[in-house]
Amino acid sequence: MTATPAAAKPGRAPRNAGGPAGLRAQHASKAGDRVFLGLSSGAAWLILVILAGVAVFLIVKAAPAIAANWSDDAGLQDTTSGFTLGYENFWQYVGPLLFGTIWASFLALLMGAPVAIGIALFISHYAPRRLSGVLGYLVDLLAAVPSVVFGLWGIVVIRPFLGPLNEFLNTYLGWIPLFGGSVAQGGSTLLAGAIVLAVMILPIITSIGREIFLQTPSLHEEAALALGATKWEMIRLAVFPYARSGIISAVLLGLGRALGETMAVAMIVSPKLIVSFELLTNDNPATIASNIANKFGGANEMQADALIATGLCLFVVSFAVNFLARAIVGRSSRPGRLRRVKSPSAKAA
Amino acid sequence: MQITRIGALSAIVLAGGLALAGCASTPSTTPTDGSSPAPTSAASGLDAIDPTLSGTITAGGSSAQVAAQNGYSAAFKSVATGFTLNYNPEGSGGGRGHFIDGSYGFAGSDAPLSADEVTKAAATYPDGALDIPVYLDGVAVAYNNKDASTLNLSASTIAKIFSGAITDWSDPAIAADNGGTALPSKKITVVTRSDSSGTMQNFTNYLAGLAGSDWTAGANLGQLPSIPGMDLQKGGAAVATEIQAVDGAIGGVDHSALGDLVAASVDGVALTNDGIANAMATGFAIKPNATPGDLSGAFDYAKIHADTTAYPIPLLSYAIIPAKFKDASTKDLVVAYLTFIASADGQKAGSTAAKSVPLPDSILEQVNATLATVK
Repeated sequence: MTATPAAAKPGRAPRNAGGPAGLRAQHASKAGDRVFLGLSSGAAWLILVILAGVAVFLIVKAAPAIAANWSDDAGLQDTTSGFTLGYENFWQYVGPLLFGTIWASFLALLMGAPVAIGIALFISHYAPRRLSGVLGYLVDLLAAVPSVVFGLWGIVVIRPFLGPLNEFLNTYLGWIPLFGGSVAQGGSTLLAGAIVLAVMILPIITSIGREIFLQTPSLHEEAALALGATKWEMIRLAVFPYARSGIISAVLLGLGRALGETMAVAMIVSPKLIVSFELLTNDNPATIASNIANKFGGANEMQADALIATGLCLFVVSFAVNFLARAIVGRSSRPGRLRRVKSPSAKAA
Repeated sequence: MQITRIGALSAIVLAGGLALAGCASTPSTTPTDGSSPAPTSAASGLDAIDPTLSGTITAGGSSAQVAAQNGYSAAFKSVATGFTLNYNPEGSGGGRGHFIDGSYGFAGSDAPLSADEVTKAAATYPDGALDIPVYLDGVAVAYNNKDASTLNLSASTIAKIFSGAITDWSDPAIAADNGGTALPSKKITVVTRSDSSGTMQNFTNYLAGLAGSDWTAGANLGQLPSIPGMDLQKGGAAVATEIQAVDGAIGGVDHSALGDLVAASVDGVALTNDGIANAMATGFAIKPNATPGDLSGAFDYAKIHADTTAYPIPLLSYAIIPAKFKDASTKDLVVAYLTFIASADGQKAGSTAAKSVPLPDSILEQVNATLATVK
C-alpha cells in the first residue's frame, strides 16, 4: 500500500518529505513543533547518556577486578568472605556463572516459549472474543507479580510439588545425565528454578505474540481458508510466516528477562559455582544475578568489584541477545509484504 | 456526564493522596528534638530514657540480632514515643560494610571489626570504631531425624559432617557419641546459608578451635566451604525452614531462629541459657583494637570445653559505633539507645523477645564506661 501524501496544510511540510531535509523544513513551522522536537530528541539523548553511564560505571568498577592477580590479591583471597578464594583469575570465576545463567535461561525458554506462543495463538485465533479479552488481561496480570513473590511461591508450592517427580525421574530415568546425581530432598533444584522462570517470562512472550498474531492481514487468512485450508493449516500458512520475526524478537525479550532474573532464582535454587547439567540435585550452577544478590552484602571492596565485573559480563550477554534479536527482525522481510506461501497440500482435485 | 466527571476527579484525588502519603519520608537520623538525655546517676534503664528524644536510627547487619533489636526498640519506644529503629538484617558482613562507608548509625555484627576493616573505618571515622557487645546467644546444631529424638555430637563428628567426611546417619562416629547404638541409615543433608553469616563465623571459630584436625577449612569463615549435596538457602530463616522440611537434614542456626527445630547437644552439653551464660563467664576474653574503650573479644574454646556446664558454641554479637559521631543528633540517639540496651531493663526486654541470654553485669559495666566516652 502506498502512502497517500497528506493534504498540504498551511505552514506544514508534506508528511512524506522524510529525512533530515524534511526535518529542517518543519523548523520553519510553529514554535510548538520545535519544542516538541527538542523534548523528544532530548529524551532520546537522555536514554543514550544513561546507557553509556551504566556501561562506563560497570567498566570502571570492574577493571580492577579483571586485571588483578587473583592468586596474590589480599582482598580476593580473604577467607572470611571467601567466595573468591582459590580462583586464579577472573575468567575462572565467571565461567561457571556464565554457564549457569545461560543454561537456566535456556531451560526456562524451552519450557516457557512454546506454552506462551500457544496461549497467544489461542487468544488471537481460537478463543471467543470475550474470553480472549479476559485471558489476555489475566496473562498481563502475571507480569505485575513481583519476583520476590515468585520466589516465595517457588519455595512454598513448586519445590514440594516437584518432589515426587524428582524421585521418579531420578529412579527410572537416572541414566540420562540430566536426571542423574543424588536427588535434592528439599527440592532446591534447577528444575524448580527454571519452571518458575518459565512462568515469569510467559506474560512477555504472550503479550507481544498476541499483538503480532492479531496483525496478520486478514486477507491472507481468508485466502488460505478460501483455498480449503483447515484452521490449523491456515495458521501454519498465513499466520506463522508473517509472525516469524516478531515471535523471535518476543522470545528473545523473554530470554532477556530470564537472564537478568535475580530474587526468584536466589531464593529457590541451591547455588554452587560449578558446571553441571544435572537438574535434580542440590549442586546447581549459580546464575550471575543471583550470585550478586547472595554475595554482595558480605563482600569486601575487591570482591564487590569482582561481582560488578560479573555484572558487566551479564550486561554484554544481554546486549548481544538484544542485538541478535534486532538483526533477525531486520534481516527477515518486512511484515506486510506478501511472502511466497507453499500451496496447501489439499489441492482442488 | 456528571457521574464520570465526579468519578474522574475523585480518582485523581484518591491517587494523588495515596502518592503523597507514600512520599512522606522518615528521614534517617534527623531527630526532631536534639536534646540529649540526661540520666542521673541513680536512674537506669527505662527511667533513664529521655521521653522527648525522637528520631530514626538507620542500622543493620547481623540477622541473629533481629529479634533482640525488635525487643530493645519496642521497649525504648514505650518511653520515647518519637523513636524509630530501622534495622536491616542483611548479614554481619553487609552491616560492617555499611558502617565503614558511613550509612548506618550503628552496625550489628556477630564478629568484631577485623584489622583490615579497622583501617578502612579510619577513613570515615578518624577517631576509630568501637565494638560494643549487646547480644549473647548460642549457635544451635539443628537437625531433623525422626529416628533420633535426642542427639549428642562431639566437635570432631560435627567437623566431619560439615566437611563432607560423614554422609550417613548410621556412621559409627555418630553412634560413638550416642552410647554406641547406630541410627538407621539415612542420607545426611547439610543445610547452610548461601549468603555471608556471622553465625557461621562463630561456628567455624569453634570447629577450628576444637576440631582442627578434622576441620581444615579455617576459622572465622562467613560461609561454609561447598561440599557435594550441600543445600544452600538464602537467609537464616530459610535455613531453619529447610531443615524442618528435609528428613535427615542438619545445619547451624542461631538459637533465636530455632523455633520448632530440635537442637543436638554438643560435646555433651545441651543448648540452654545457663550453658551459654557459663560459656561467656568461663571463656570470653576482651582483646581490644587500637581504639580506647573498644570491647571486642574472643572465646577460648579449650577453656569452655573444659567446663562441663558451658555450652561450647556461644555467639556474642556487637553493635559497632564510631568513637566520635559525625553529627550530634545521631550520637544522642544511638548512645541513649545503647545505654538502654546495656541496662538491666534493656537486657530483659531483649532476652524476652529473642529468648537470648542477658549479658553478665561485668560486661555491662564496661559497656556503660565505654559509652560515656563516646563523643
